Amino acid sequence: MNRLLRLASVGIALAAVLGLMLPVKAFSAEEIKIGVIYPLTGGAAAAGRELRAGAELAAEIANGVMADLPMTMAKNGGIKAMGGAKINLIFKDHEGNPTVGADLAKKLILDDKVHGILGCYHSSVTKTVSAVCEQYGVPMINGSSTSPDLTMRGFKWFWRTTPHDKWFTKDLFELLKGLTEGKVKGVKAVPKKDIEVLAAACENTEWGSLVTEMIKLFAGEYEFKLRKTLLYADKATDLSSEVRSLKAAKPDVMLFASYTSDAILMLKTLKAEKAGPKIIWGQDAGFETPEFRNTLGDDIVGILTRTVFLPQVVEVKKVAGQVNRMYKAKTGNDLSGASARSFTGLQTWVHVIEKAGSTVPAEIQKAANAIEIPGDELVVPWAGVKFSTTGDELGQNVLGSGLIGQYQKAKDGKVALEIVYPFDVVTADMVYPFPGW
Amino acid sequence: METLKNAVDFSDFPRIDLVIAGAVAFLFLIFPLFSASSFAMATMIQFFMFSLYGMGWNTIGGYGGQVDLGKAQYVGIGAYTTAVMLLRWDIPFWVSMPVGMGIAVIWSFIIGYPLFRLKGHYFAIATIATSLVLKDLFTVWSFVGAARGLEISPITYPPPDYMRLIFKEDIYYYYLILGFFFLGLLYMNWFRKSRLGFQLRCIKDNEDMARSLGINVHWAKIKTYAIATAFVSMVGSFHVCYIKVIEPVDIMSLDLSILIALMAMLGGAGSLWGPIIGAGVLIPLRSYLKEWLGAAAGLVGIDLIFYALIIMIVSAFEPRGIWGIVEKVRRRKRR
Repeated sequence: MNRLLRLASVGIALAAVLGLMLPVKAFSAEEIKIGVIYPLTGGAAAAGRELRAGAELAAEIANGVMADLPMTMAKNGGIKAMGGAKINLIFKDHEGNPTVGADLAKKLILDDKVHGILGCYHSSVTKTVSAVCEQYGVPMINGSSTSPDLTMRGFKWFWRTTPHDKWFTKDLFELLKGLTEGKVKGVKAVPKKDIEVLAAACENTEWGSLVTEMIKLFAGEYEFKLRKTLLYADKATDLSSEVRSLKAAKPDVMLFASYTSDAILMLKTLKAEKAGPKIIWGQDAGFETPEFRNTLGDDIVGILTRTVFLPQVVEVKKVAGQVNRMYKAKTGNDLSGASARSFTGLQTWVHVIEKAGSTVPAEIQKAANAIEIPGDELVVPWAGVKFSTTGDELGQNVLGSGLIGQYQKAKDGKVALEIVYPFDVVTADMVYPFPGW
Repeated sequence: METLKNAVDFSDFPRIDLVIAGAVAFLFLIFPLFSASSFAMATMIQFFMFSLYGMGWNTIGGYGGQVDLGKAQYVGIGAYTTAVMLLRWDIPFWVSMPVGMGIAVIWSFIIGYPLFRLKGHYFAIATIATSLVLKDLFTVWSFVGAARGLEISPITYPPPDYMRLIFKEDIYYYYLILGFFFLGLLYMNWFRKSRLGFQLRCIKDNEDMARSLGINVHWAKIKTYAIATAFVSMVGSFHVCYIKVIEPVDIMSLDLSILIALMAMLGGAGSLWGPIIGAGVLIPLRSYLKEWLGAAAGLVGIDLIFYALIIMIVSAFEPRGIWGIVEKVRRRKRR
């Protein structure tokens, strides 16, 4: 009897475990299900929160009717071509781990039966997730991964709205060149020998290593001396040896590609080691998050970061100002490069589904390849969204562009980003050299 | 013949254990027939992979008492060997996997020889160091893709491909890793009753006494370490075919090394079932806590808090792991 009881209890426990593994009940058919995979925990969790809020706001706008917002998706109360079908976002957390990302993509595709995927921020995770999407023939739109390789793989189910690091890094060297030519507002022409020596430290995954490659490429092309490059782990808890190594190279310009926690640690260590280059430039990501600003305060005045969105854009783009107000009411922060791009990524999804008028993957694929969203509908200062369908870069938005901002102290004492590049849209004089700590 | 008999002979376990093990094995075999969830399938594949990693760790860490926190380097060697051989020379998995195991074993001899002169914490720290050094080397070695790693593109290698192990459906990977799992289990059953297995337990209990009995302690540890690495490398080869993208930061991370050791220790180091129980508890727990709570608005990260709490409670309650709890209960009943 005792043995029977024991066997029965084992059976019940096993049945319970198997029961937990059954799929969650399918959602109703009236929804467009988009799986959204972002880093909601881990070193880039702060950026993940921004990305999530941006995508959620875009979905809210698409599902509602906001007559005063000059966006097509704000007028339809859902997908008009599908009888007002609503956008339903299913969020997943990849922790910055490519393996977890691939598993989540399979789950979204096979269990949750999503119609498409948006994500994933980390280029390394985007790589594994897009490979799963390609295998299953499920469309994926990427709004915020900037490794150039991602659109050079010939994938037919992958589209990227953001410009990539080749463009962004070229922008940096154009700014440096502009400095030597006296084109930068508020700075007299700087002799090239004063800013000639560069050193770069990038995080050691797909994204950071590609940024390093791009820096090497353009340093050669623009005839700068790249004296030191190093890769470091973004989860590192101590970067003092890296900083000492950078400092030993005596660079005029320090270049970084960092996620949030490592960007903060890098800057703190630079300060502790009293490293004082003339220019510090960050490749977006960690250098642009509210945590970076809030944690480091006045120490970041003079630091440059590339981005695709700055609060100053609202002065020249009405739609950006309207969306920014909504975003600020929701989160307490201004839109950033991360949130503006996730917003634009989901907005592109809405336009694609509207054009396809269907959730059949082949129809979505056709629509994505033919889509053209005008720049005046976007919150980011791009000419629009139009994907390349030929050549080496399949699925890359050819109408994107970047900005370079500099942290400056406003009259009210707050530290905010001002646009210093492109030269025709600058909003303030550039602070040069970096004032130090 | 004797080896085979030892491998399939589980008669020293209580009958209830064998009944449960048989029922679970049967459930593993029929699981894909009843599970319509790809997430459950992926979780099960992860469970088998970590069980095998844990079995490897258990040889040297559990039976031998040498805490190894550098297993990820061997996962990397297996994964990279398979990926490089496939991408550069189009050599299929079934050839590259044993080659990877061979390279891992050679590497284990190279570092094992000096490493086993160390004891206790010094040995554990040294294994972490070798693993991190290898990871950093791979991060800058362009032949293996450096920090960007390697990708088995679904366009270049369309599924299904039985030789290169490229499938679209997880069910193929499931039965393959299940096969490896059963083979691993039989091997471990043989190992614990083998001469080397007894020598190791003796070394764990009292190294000086083992030496006085004529056991070549250093050589026994090195041999066992090689066995452990072969296990781990085999699963590493499988891992790259399953995920199709590898980066040194991901596949050779310290997190992975610690997770392998943690699962075996939490399940019960030095027992046959320990690593399986550890993986069986921690993998579904991690996956499903993340699934239920991981992306919930306002609760992001709470899954990790629960996960850590459960590990702490088990460790505080019984440091010998879950299998230790089972044995404690049994001893009390016997009294």
